[in-house]
Amino acid sequence: MHSGILYSLGQSLREILTSLIGVPILVDLLMTIICATILLLIMATSALVFTLGERKICAFIQVRIGPNRVGPGGLLQSVADMLKLMDKEDIVPRGIDKWLWVLSPILLLVPSALIYAFFPFDDGVILADVNVGLFLLIAITSQTVLPFLMGGYASNSKYSLIGGMRTVAQMLGYEVPMVFALMGIVMITGSLKMSAIVEAQSDVWFIVLQPLAFLIYIITALVESNRPPFNIVEGESEIIAGPFTEYTGMRWALFFLAEFSNLMCIGILTTTLFLGGWHGPDFLPGFCWFWIKTFLCVLFYQWVGWTFPRARVDSMLSFGWKVLLPIALINVLLTGVGIYVYNVM
Amino acid sequence: MWGKGLITGMKVTWGHWFGKKETVYYPEEKLPMTERFRGGHLAFDEEKCIGCKLCAIGCPNAALDLTVSVDENKKRHMESYVHQIGRCMYCDLCIEACPTKAITWDKNYEFASYFKEDMTYDALVEARNRRGNDE
Repeated sequence: MHSGILYSLGQSLREILTSLIGVPILVDLLMTIICATILLLIMATSALVFTLGERKICAFIQVRIGPNRVGPGGLLQSVADMLKLMDKEDIVPRGIDKWLWVLSPILLLVPSALIYAFFPFDDGVILADVNVGLFLLIAITSQTVLPFLMGGYASNSKYSLIGGMRTVAQMLGYEVPMVFALMGIVMITGSLKMSAIVEAQSDVWFIVLQPLAFLIYIITALVESNRPPFNIVEGESEIIAGPFTEYTGMRWALFFLAEFSNLMCIGILTTTLFLGGWHGPDFLPGFCWFWIKTFLCVLFYQWVGWTFPRARVDSMLSFGWKVLLPIALINVLLTGVGIYVYNVM
Repeated sequence: MWGKGLITGMKVTWGHWFGKKETVYYPEEKLPMTERFRGGHLAFDEEKCIGCKLCAIGCPNAALDLTVSVDENKKRHMESYVHQIGRCMYCDLCIEACPTKAITWDKNYEFASYFKEDMTYDALVEARNRRGNDE
């Protein structure tokens, strides 16, 4: 049924495990653990790669060279950064809400790691191909609001609290247009299943059928993942580092990891929902196309992020509610009319 | 057209992305200092100096401690030319005051130090050392 190198690799691994263990439930469990480990590794590696990528791209755009001392051409810079973060003193400020404060970075990492289960990396290569995939994905990503607010509130610091409140305003405000923009895709596909959405793009990518939704999605994805130019949650020049202000060392690194994991998530989502997922010309296997598109998307998001100055809070919120939401609704209407006309003809 | 500015901005950063970088690899490469750069130690020229002490008189912070001796021909010689960098504000007045252009800045900005003693040096000794190295 499915083709592709990754799928057949997985099948042969399952066959080997079945012949070794024999009990189907245990084999399933083992396969799940292996897949989850691979996904977590991908996430951790993405953070390492994108830290360096971010710093290099930022430097290039600002007519600098960027990190170039550690390793060949600065390639090991992110490893050095990681070692430095692990080496740092774990400072716990006085007057904090201890439990909320400790839990916040961990809880932030969970949803951003969890959604990797719903990404179709290749034909048939998807950890959890549930029939409400897209819905579940949006539901899980919207959980990231809470840890930010938790951390901001528990830190007992003005800047953290302001940052936490900003997160809520921004993420909730842009969640609505994003969901409405994705509605067009769901209407065309007729399914919320991630694999079905990719399958529906085998002939025409959704960027062609849903250009308006694509534009809205790009903007809202940047907002949802706190990327510049919409990183008002952090807003270094305004509120130091927002909810992360009071965190140091590994606790801060978890926030960092979640941020870069989210960056890759929006790259993957753009690829999957609008750019045809793993579809591509036959000379490369599907997962190669998937990763090429994802990396180009991430590059694009970083390029956008380092081009524009940070949006102001009030103008950003009014843009979300007064401009993006009506456009998204109109897009849903247009898609409906388009589908009707197509079916009649 | 709305949004045209966004595209222009993206074009600009795209150009910078692949364009020439301005960074100087500092310890390996150094920027040449300009003609009028004020900084570093004073490069003292013993032959040109007439021992008039105008530089020390012109110094607003009294950063120059000079010792001058007079020989039997009533010719003035510099015995020591101590420059206290800690007091110096690099106003250039000593150099402007010098009638024979015997002092100039050596434009070496790399003399950060851990000890206060390093902030005082004798320009005369330094000039003699430099000449000794050249010969």
